[in-house]
Amino acid sequence: MAIATTLVATASLVGLTACSGGSSSSPSGSNAPITLTLNNWGEFGFAPLVKQYEKDHPNITIKINNGDYNTQHQNLQKFLVAGSGAPDIAMSDEGYIVQFRGQADKFVDLNTLGAKDYNTKFLDWDWKSGTATSGQQFAIGDDVGGLAMCYRRDLFAKAGLPSDRAKVSALWPTWNDFIATGEKYVAGSGGKKFVDSGVNIFNPAMRQQQVGYFDKNDTLTMDQGPKVAWGIATDIIAKNLSANIPTETPGWSAGMQNGDYAVLACPSWMLARIKSLAPATTGQWDIADMPGGGGNWGGSFFMIPKQGKHIQESWDVIKYLLSPDSQISIFKNAGLLPAQPALYANPDLLNFKNPFFNNAPVGVIFTTSAKNFTYQYQGLKMGVVRTAVENDLTQVMQGKLNAQNGWTAAVADAKKAAAN
Amino acid sequence: MTTTGRAGAGPREAPPTPSSSDRDEHVWRNRFSKWDVKYMPYVLISPFFILFGVFGLFPLIYNGVVSLRTWRLDNPAADGWAGLENYRKLFGDSDFWNALYNTFGIFVVATIPQLLIALILAGLLNRKLRATTTFRMGVLVPYITPIAASTLIFASVFANRYGVADQLLKAIGLGPVDWRAERWSSWTAISIMVDWRWIGYMTLIYLAAMQSVSREIYEAAAIDGAGPQRQFWSLTVPLIRPTIVFTAVIATIGMMQLFTEPLLFDSNTAAASGGSAHQFQTVALLIYQTGWKNLNLGYAAAMSWVMFVIIVALAAVNAFLTNRLGRGK
Repeated sequence: MAIATTLVATASLVGLTACSGGSSSSPSGSNAPITLTLNNWGEFGFAPLVKQYEKDHPNITIKINNGDYNTQHQNLQKFLVAGSGAPDIAMSDEGYIVQFRGQADKFVDLNTLGAKDYNTKFLDWDWKSGTATSGQQFAIGDDVGGLAMCYRRDLFAKAGLPSDRAKVSALWPTWNDFIATGEKYVAGSGGKKFVDSGVNIFNPAMRQQQVGYFDKNDTLTMDQGPKVAWGIATDIIAKNLSANIPTETPGWSAGMQNGDYAVLACPSWMLARIKSLAPATTGQWDIADMPGGGGNWGGSFFMIPKQGKHIQESWDVIKYLLSPDSQISIFKNAGLLPAQPALYANPDLLNFKNPFFNNAPVGVIFTTSAKNFTYQYQGLKMGVVRTAVENDLTQVMQGKLNAQNGWTAAVADAKKAAAN
Repeated sequence: MTTTGRAGAGPREAPPTPSSSDRDEHVWRNRFSKWDVKYMPYVLISPFFILFGVFGLFPLIYNGVVSLRTWRLDNPAADGWAGLENYRKLFGDSDFWNALYNTFGIFVVATIPQLLIALILAGLLNRKLRATTTFRMGVLVPYITPIAASTLIFASVFANRYGVADQLLKAIGLGPVDWRAERWSSWTAISIMVDWRWIGYMTLIYLAAMQSVSREIYEAAAIDGAGPQRQFWSLTVPLIRPTIVFTAVIATIGMMQLFTEPLLFDSNTAAASGGSAHQFQTVALLIYQTGWKNLNLGYAAAMSWVMFVIIVALAAVNAFLTNRLGRGK
């Protein structure tokens, strides 16, 4: 008898909770409490802004879910496949944005929410990164990386090269000048290496070209941009200017501390990495312009997954985070550059100097590089093609291939990856 | 289960009650007791099968269906029925055969020393030692460390030029080795990682088997003049042969699914390419890369099913060998 009673009681309890647990979508606009989730990685400087927003909108709570860079993107991909679990406001780094562009139909078209008003406020290449082939705006840029060439003043001076920022920038207006400077450095320093890795020269050079791996029709075109960049990178490797150390490995950090390489392609977010990995080298670094023109490495975007329940509220929060005051606050707290060039005239940005890097005017340097960067169409399969080509370039660095048969392999692997 | 019946009323006893409601209640209780005895065992073991059905069987079948379809995350318009197209593509894919070669190669390079060293260690631990429990627990500590943590530390040990391994090589006069560059060097490094983890586990299994061998056999052999070495290789090892075969089966199934070590050993873990020329990309890693980096879920599902069939075939071969050896005793 007692068992039957227990069963009936349990059944009714389950029934009650099922009835009361159904209010996942609350009426918009009214003062019903809403919790919004935002997924990101690293340090974005959102905390004080979120607190202010919650104070101004007492019914809204914003929960920031901070996690590992790769894991957050992989999880977002899985949530999209599963159809649930995605945050209200999803963020994507530039490295993954093309992958999500291929699934733009799973994100809200921000133009329908009024994003068109922002169109002209953003750097054009950044805005286009968030536009899908169908024309819908699936993402809107939060920050950009910019790109400059960090160099070791002390090592340059020891090798007989000028160490003043302006003079160094004048040394290498083109990549050929950069390679010539590298040869002078190796000769003057008694055989030390110039760059950390051929791959870190290949990628910036690639992005400066007019046409990348794919043309605007998503056809694989290896013989334009990639071929030029391959030539530059393999030239550097062949002339023994590269220390051949892959990025973010123990050898790379050790090399930074020991001066195994004298230059490093750095976006704005790399400055904090250098400072934390090689604190003893304070004051010995400086920042010059990129050879070949402007550049960009990294940057992040806001997206609103369609499966979310609070689309309008999420867009309001995004607009708040993109407002000029918020963007300047983000720059001050986390050092991230806005994707909106009008803000570059702000004196806080313009006058910002970084003492670790010999008081280099980082605000001016990186915003100039971002403004000089030109748009390059990224094909949907560029991620896998890039991995394949980078692998072959790594084999050249490891001495398993040379520039010629390495290029043949790269073209073949790129074709295979694009067709897969 | 509470009963309000008389003490001593058993399930098969016919209840002699006068009133009809009372009689109904007793009949109901009788039936319930019969049901209890007959079906309760199934109820108690059902949680495992329910969980297996949901998390094991259903994904297996669903994966099979996915492998017969085209499902690309980067091109939803191409989704549809593909039949055996994915499998046809798989058998002509050089990356798959390369991954299979790597998987079997690392299996051989890792497992043979692993089982040999475990055997010898177990033989040593089988003797009279002081602090035996400490040694036996100590040998298991690598097995209980989190796999990602130990792999990352080993990746640092095998770092090019600055890692501990290269420093040791420098100390004995050899040049530094770029462990990730070649097949032999990357297989060696990964095998060292795997063996470090599994030798302790295998040692304890062998030790348990050795301890069930009766001491009289060793006494008889000692009387016949056999030294400890001879006793070990001619007596102990043949007598624990079923255990050795069992460990070979476990090692086979585990090594076929090798994933974490090759993934985290690479300099660029996010790409999951298993080296610049895929020199240490195992099949599990290739499946991961195909599904979540190339975003081709249908093709990855086909690969998973082919691996499943291969592992089942290997396990069947192992089981057959075990039976034959067992019958021979």
